[in-house]
Amino acid sequence: MKKKKRNGLELTYHLMMLPGLLFLIIFSYIPMVGIIMAFQDFVPAKGLFHSDFVGLKYFRYMLGLNDIWEVLRNTVAIALGKIFIGTFMAIAFSILLNEISIKLMKKGVQTIVYLPHFLSWVVLASVVVNIFSLDGIVNRILGSFGIQALNFLGNPAIFPKLIVATDVWKEFGYNSVIYLAAITAIDPGLHEAAAIDGAGWFKRVIHVTIPGMLPIILLMAAMSLTGILSAGFDQIYNLYSPIVYETGDVLDTYVYRIGLVGRQYSFGAAVGLLRSLVGLVLLVSANKLTMKLTDEKIF
Amino acid sequence: MKNRRLYNKVFALGIAGSMLVTATGCGAANDTIGGDEVKAAGRDITVTLGRQTLPNAKLPDGDTYEDNAYTRMLKEELNVNVVDEFEANGDDYDRQVSLALSSGEIPDIMKVTSKDDVKELYENDLIMDLTDLYDQYASDYLKSVYDSYDGRALDNVTFDGQMMALPGTNPDAGPSEVWIRSDWMNDLGISVDEDGDRAITIDELEKVASTFKDKNPGKAEKPVGMAFAPWLTSGDPDGTFSINSIAYALGAFPKTWMEKDGKIIYGSTQPEMKEALARIAGWFESGLVDPQLGTRTWDDITALLSNGETGVTFGTWHIPDWLLNNVRASDPKATFSSYAIEDKDGKVYCKHNDATAGYIVVSKKCKNPEVVMKIANLFYDDLVNDKDILKKYPEVAKYQKDGVDGSTRPFNIEINCSTSLLDDYSDIKKGVNGEISDAEVRTVESGEVIKSVRNYLADPEKAEVADWARYHSRMVGIELMNTLIDEGKFEWITPVFPSTTPTMETNQANLDKLEEETFIKIATGAVSVDDGFDSFVKQWNDQGGEQIISEIENSLK
Repeated sequence: MKKKKRNGLELTYHLMMLPGLLFLIIFSYIPMVGIIMAFQDFVPAKGLFHSDFVGLKYFRYMLGLNDIWEVLRNTVAIALGKIFIGTFMAIAFSILLNEISIKLMKKGVQTIVYLPHFLSWVVLASVVVNIFSLDGIVNRILGSFGIQALNFLGNPAIFPKLIVATDVWKEFGYNSVIYLAAITAIDPGLHEAAAIDGAGWFKRVIHVTIPGMLPIILLMAAMSLTGILSAGFDQIYNLYSPIVYETGDVLDTYVYRIGLVGRQYSFGAAVGLLRSLVGLVLLVSANKLTMKLTDEKIF
Repeated sequence: MKNRRLYNKVFALGIAGSMLVTATGCGAANDTIGGDEVKAAGRDITVTLGRQTLPNAKLPDGDTYEDNAYTRMLKEELNVNVVDEFEANGDDYDRQVSLALSSGEIPDIMKVTSKDDVKELYENDLIMDLTDLYDQYASDYLKSVYDSYDGRALDNVTFDGQMMALPGTNPDAGPSEVWIRSDWMNDLGISVDEDGDRAITIDELEKVASTFKDKNPGKAEKPVGMAFAPWLTSGDPDGTFSINSIAYALGAFPKTWMEKDGKIIYGSTQPEMKEALARIAGWFESGLVDPQLGTRTWDDITALLSNGETGVTFGTWHIPDWLLNNVRASDPKATFSSYAIEDKDGKVYCKHNDATAGYIVVSKKCKNPEVVMKIANLFYDDLVNDKDILKKYPEVAKYQKDGVDGSTRPFNIEINCSTSLLDDYSDIKKGVNGEISDAEVRTVESGEVIKSVRNYLADPEKAEVADWARYHSRMVGIELMNTLIDEGKFEWITPVFPSTTPTMETNQANLDKLEEETFIKIATGAVSVDDGFDSFVKQWNDQGGEQIISEIENSLK
């Protein structure tokens, strides 16, 4: 009797999940069938099930491209830079912001740092170009100190750093939301106890706040690792030029240019699949690693 | 940046499109209207079409691609109904064509956009040999138009001696012209081109650019001598913001396949190209070329011009219409002169365009294939040469006056004489000089240009920007080509236009990247000219270039 009632309750919950589940099936699972495109010479007229199978041809083609390793290196370097520096900035910012006790000030700062997240890179790129061009404000300031003007966007050594820095600037505010939530979830009793024990602000951050945030930090870092092969197409596409290809050309921009030449559906699918695979492997290993290190499981 | 180049091309096509009503000077006037025979048979013919459309064709309300003034005229004249089997814009259309191609079901008549498509259709035995139909039905005028390309147009569609498509023509665009602020030259009291043949040397170009940079007539904070787009070179001879004019004058033909001593060569890997890049690199080092070369975008260069930061630029004859007009809009005193750059022997090198663009193919299953030639006669001969036909079909005349896009005609191609630009120019010049009356001017477009030029000449300082632009594009831009021809300065290069080879399909994009990246690095001094270029040539050959060359050679055998 009791058991039956509980089952009824569960059914309602499951029914409530249904729309989301359907959405997931229709838009995430069914399209997975398209993966076979990566192993075919896909011709739209023949369709998915009648195109010729070519095995790993497109994967071999991809790995045989002359610049693929350079491009992969750029992609990973820029993506890692964004993940690590971005995460660090967001955490640091949320800890600092949490210390502000004036509510209006806190909300005000929060809103201001959110804002760039909602602007498209198409718009921001022209802002970045203006600021960093040879006669832009940065070079004017450098110039007033007698430093030779630098062509930031045309210098292969600086370009990837600029990409990481501007992306971190754009996103850290928005990413800090979740860390702020994690901080508020920490039991204030722990802080009080630490304070009574004589811990200063810094000690408390190290020994109370950060350990309290750790599960969320690990979760976020692991999730962002899945994006290691996407270094931000719209940002880079709007800022790069042939001069900085050697350090700035990433998988997305490269595939975009190569794929543009012919409508290479199969090639596009192969690249997408490879990227998902790398993401999956990283996610699973990150999960294993966090379990070992902290006994916390992501999923 | 690629987009911009595409945009540029699209724009050029648009300009070409706007000249669709262009009458041409080759051949005699029309003979009989081609439709009598079909019509006499008294039966309705229906053909299915594959048509490439434009998103905004400016069709009047209620009219469609399938039912508009042109198709109604077609029905009236030839008793032909058209049914569109498929319609699509731009790239989507190519997708429709490849769909049709792979299913083996193509419409009676269809436009395809590339020679590769024609070849594939031919190899799959889906399209009809038009040789006899062309001989029999195409009007003399139409034939003379194709003949004006010295066989280059029909060669493109001839496979194993059979004419497999009716090609659209693609007249030459002329050289990349050097546009120099003539008002600045006057202010500073400098002059170039002493002999008046409108061709200047590279040294003269250098002199003007460096004087502009030093004297700063535009009172800019940081004047720039010469600015180029990051891609530096262009496969189109007239490439705007490219170094083409300088390269050509040094005998280098970037992004061009050519035949030399029976072998195929690629222009960008030849020693002359190195010399051209060395020139740019030298100017970059001395500060004559924009220090932000490589990161300066298309819009940035346009801004440099309109802000008076630079007064020398490079581009096709029609840039006053859509690019330099910005300069005039911000500075009413601005005027430009245009020049070609000559080589050390006083010759101006220019390159032929591929003579064809867009192809009409006919299905093997088409029951009335002669209709193709009759439609072509009607739209590309009668409609152009027969003034009465517009009186008979006032709605067609209205279409042309309102600028309804030419793609609404049953065939979305242009068939113009190779000299159509110059023929228009001579018409316009005669009109401006009062040698012919306004009624004698052959096209609506030319009539409008003549009005603009008169307006401009009446009061250059106060004239509208549009009048200024039309004056500069025709009376300066095209006039340059006319003068060069009169002076016998042109030296024409006929490139090879290969169809896409297997290695091109897989490696061309990579090779293009290598080329673009290396050239800009050489120009900006990031790598030395000698090492950079030599290793580029080696890499280019190793990474598929050599293979592509041998594929092209085989395909031409």
